[in-house]
Amino acid sequence: MSNPQIKIIDALTGESITRDMTSSELAQLQADKLEADKEAEALAKDQADKEATRAAVLTRLGLTSDELLALLS
Amino acid sequence: MAKQTFTSGQVLTAAQVNALQSNDFNQTVTTKTASYTPTTTTDIGTRVIMNSASATTITINTSIYSAGDTFFIGNIGAGVCTLTAGTCTITTAGSLAIPQNGGGTLYFTSASAAIFYSSAGPTASSGLTFITGGSLSGTATSIDNCFSATYLNYKIVLNDLIVSVGSRVAFRMRVSGSDNTTSNYTFGVFGIDTAGSTVVAILAAANGTSFRLTTGTDIGSGMSTSFDLQNPFASKPTSFGVANLMQGETATACVANGVFKATTSFDGITFFPFTSPETLTGTYKIYGYANS
Repeated sequence: MSNPQIKIIDALTGESITRDMTSSELAQLQADKLEADKEAEALAKDQADKEATRAAVLTRLGLTSDELLALLS
Repeated sequence: MAKQTFTSGQVLTAAQVNALQSNDFNQTVTTKTASYTPTTTTDIGTRVIMNSASATTITINTSIYSAGDTFFIGNIGAGVCTLTAGTCTITTAGSLAIPQNGGGTLYFTSASAAIFYSSAGPTASSGLTFITGGSLSGTATSIDNCFSATYLNYKIVLNDLIVSVGSRVAFRMRVSGSDNTTSNYTFGVFGIDTAGSTVVAILAAANGTSFRLTTGTDIGSGMSTSFDLQNPFASKPTSFGVANLMQGETATACVANGVFKATTSFDGITFFPFTSPETLTGTYKIYGYANS
């Protein structure tokens, strides 16, 4: 697998280079990936929690989603 | 033809009348190929055309022309012709530098003062100035030397952004060729499902290491957005704000805001997809807001 690359453009000269990431850039890339995975997990958990709470409330009320929407519309 | 002086008793010939009429409808043109300093009134009512590949000047001195005299100055050469106040005052709302295919009328209000009505018009003193633009590709795209002391605030326009499903568009500030990865990025992003009218995602960080522009819900088709960036070069906190961002496939409206809390001066920016090693493609344009 090829190394991740970074494209760098100098706005003053218009010069553009594309090169392999340095070790520090690769380390940051890995850190970003870990953080992104955590973010995605948190988002998914948040969505699941909201859905579960919503379903529980609907059950207590004895309403379907469509009936709730009809009430709120 | 040049301005004529007729004397009492002189016979006015048909040729003289025709010549004068000709100048009214088809002005006499005098082409100059080098810098020029008028010493007589020969040019009044005519056109002086500069034609030089290198820069030239037309120097105007006092006590040659009188109030009401006019003549046209044009430049067809590649070299800029600069109308120069010798001993005569010249004012203009535009520029005294006449570019190729530019020109204007020089009108004397006295023997020592003139107004140049330039075809170029007044110099713009406000608005947006294009700084740079190009394409985004690969794992990251950095743009160096796009922020400077010339502008305090910037507008960044991103078009046709494509990142893989599940990824997010992110950016970092940059200085001297390196990204700033300190934990000074504070941001919040809301993603609103336009079909269900519900908030589908909220991303936020008080001490993040980059900014996020999107919430990352199934972006697979091209999308466009723009945002303002305040104080990136100034030694002040750098802030940004985005609204009305529609993420391609799921029609999610995003609102994103953030601030880099430290007072770092930045000269560049890096765009990248926040789920590496996905790629981010698209185009960018960066503009500077005039400070006054």
